[in-house]
Amino acid sequence: MSKFKTLMKKREFRTLFFLVAIFIIVGLVNSDFLTIGTIQNSLKSSLLYIVLAVGLTVVLLTGNIDISVGGTLGLSAAVSGLLLKNGGSIFVSIVVAILIGAIIGLINGLGVTKLKISSFIMTLGMLEITRVIQVIYTDGQWVENLPAGFKQLSQMNVLGFNLLLIIVMAGVIIVHLFLTRSRKGRYFSAIGDNVDGAILLGVPVQRYVTYSFIASGVCAALAGLIFASQIGFISTTAGLGIEMTVIAASVLGGVSLSGGVGTVIGATIGAVIMISINSALIYMKIPAFWNDAISGLLLITIVVTDAVLSRRADKRTKKERLKARVLHQEEVSINHAHAK
Amino acid sequence: MLMLSRIPKWNLGLIVVLILEIIIFGLINPRFWNISILLNSFNDFIGIAIIGFFVTLVMITGGIDISGGSIIGLTSVVIGILSQAIGLNIWISIILAIVAAGLCGLLNGILIAYGRVQAMVVTLGGLLLYSGIAIVLVGVSGVSAYEGISGFPGSFSNLAYGTVFGIPSSIILFIVLFIIAYVLLHFTKYGRYIFLTGINQNAADYAGINTKKIIASTYVLSGLSAGIAGTMLTSYLGSARADFGSEYLMSILTVVVLGGTLITGGKGGIIGTALASIIVGFLRVGMQMGGVSTQYIGLATGLLLIISVALLSISSSTKENMKKLLRPKFMKEGNV
Repeated sequence: MSKFKTLMKKREFRTLFFLVAIFIIVGLVNSDFLTIGTIQNSLKSSLLYIVLAVGLTVVLLTGNIDISVGGTLGLSAAVSGLLLKNGGSIFVSIVVAILIGAIIGLINGLGVTKLKISSFIMTLGMLEITRVIQVIYTDGQWVENLPAGFKQLSQMNVLGFNLLLIIVMAGVIIVHLFLTRSRKGRYFSAIGDNVDGAILLGVPVQRYVTYSFIASGVCAALAGLIFASQIGFISTTAGLGIEMTVIAASVLGGVSLSGGVGTVIGATIGAVIMISINSALIYMKIPAFWNDAISGLLLITIVVTDAVLSRRADKRTKKERLKARVLHQEEVSINHAHAK
Repeated sequence: MLMLSRIPKWNLGLIVVLILEIIIFGLINPRFWNISILLNSFNDFIGIAIIGFFVTLVMITGGIDISGGSIIGLTSVVIGILSQAIGLNIWISIILAIVAAGLCGLLNGILIAYGRVQAMVVTLGGLLLYSGIAIVLVGVSGVSAYEGISGFPGSFSNLAYGTVFGIPSSIILFIVLFIIAYVLLHFTKYGRYIFLTGINQNAADYAGINTKKIIASTYVLSGLSAGIAGTMLTSYLGSARADFGSEYLMSILTVVVLGGTLITGGKGGIIGTALASIIVGFLRVGMQMGGVSTQYIGLATGLLLIISVALLSISSSTKENMKKLLRPKFMKEGNV
């Protein structure tokens, strides 16, 4: 029972609970929603967002933010798409995309750590710059007619499950284990929790912040490849405004924007929620124009409730600590006896 | 010389950039030196400028407001629906729409100040919510989302195209709102409290300032300014659409940050924001006249943003710290 309680207290669990609730409620209204096919479809369409949210979470953990993911996604997708179209091999184009993501991430990271530019501003500027570079590189044209072999990548199935889905899920679990179990992985949340403390403990803060931006850039590039493979063409506005959805997804999943708190699993669940709302609305026969309003309302409600709840919990622990400090141990136990 | 030294270095730099910009663009295309073209170009960035004035206040308290762009769309749709679909008097609809924009700001402010949720998260939710409400309003009223609501009376389009004593009304609005924001921030107790809250909220609280009220009020002002911007944009473009202002987010933040306001709060000024908004606005006009496609303008503004902030943080953060250490009267610094 106590184990269940600690599980309940975990933020990700509450989000998961919420996701299940959405599925059940929509399933009650329209039972077609609760088939394996629909669930796998909504997971498949949220793949892109999951990958972006994982990368973003690493940055958010360090207390920074990366708004440039949409631009990185578009640019890497466009460059590797053109490569593929001109007969390049799939392997080369994947490597090129990852390299582009890593370079953009490196520039972001160096700007934040060396030039001391606030990460919000740095990546906002980078978002705009990468968009223009994409337009220049593609001449303002859409990249169409990608080779069928590449498009098939996103449709491959293994044992009845989508191959990409399996890979991404495995990736999420590996990143989660790295961030929570390994010494170096925990540096990221240590930096976000308390920079000065991390420095005193000998964490190379600047290097790890840069790493986090590189991770986010690489994830955005991978998301770009998924985008190209799933959709089959890359418009000049590919990934426009996606950054806001991804930030909202991470926050929904319990990742704090002030750093140090959150897990990639939570962010993944958040991403699935954000996308499931779309298909849930369709199954509930609500017009699609309610989409943004509902997502926004949901985000605000969840975040505000969460803030209020966590503050109340904070207050309680503080009170308990104060009690323990003011009263001696015996008195506390006497008080307890009285109370009983 | 004394006068020059009284102007903060950052603003001086902005003035130099502005003059250089006018000279360079003029050399590329002499039409740029045509005063009436320059004055009329204010219509293109008036929205960015007036929201920027009040987002400056928000940012000085240490917050951020990214919902301004979506409030523009909401205001526009509310004006359109109230006046065209319901048939209210256009001026009453405008007032109601601006009140609605203020309410959006109030919701942001209450959640941020009293709910103590991060400003970025709340205004991100607001960004989705307000543009979502605008889309819902359009969807429910059955107007074509692409064409928007049009057919406004001529007196309404005079808001953007009219002139007062030969001066375009957008310039008058720019100046009026500039003066309001400037006086509020630099000449009133309220403005001092805004700076104090941004420098150290706890200290301000202990000094007996109701910092929550101060913070919440800055978001209301920012929402109201977005409402006014939405009204102007609707009048300028002659139709009401939900996606108006959706691309303003980047420009608004660029203008405020380029104006020398620290994103961490506590320092900044309205003059800087005003100069920066003119620089960015003229940049757009100048590049268009120089034959550069509008798609490339983002490269210039993006670079401008990063470079200016890099300069600000490298040169001024160390200097500021020294000044703060040496002189206890650092409040004067904010008083540009």
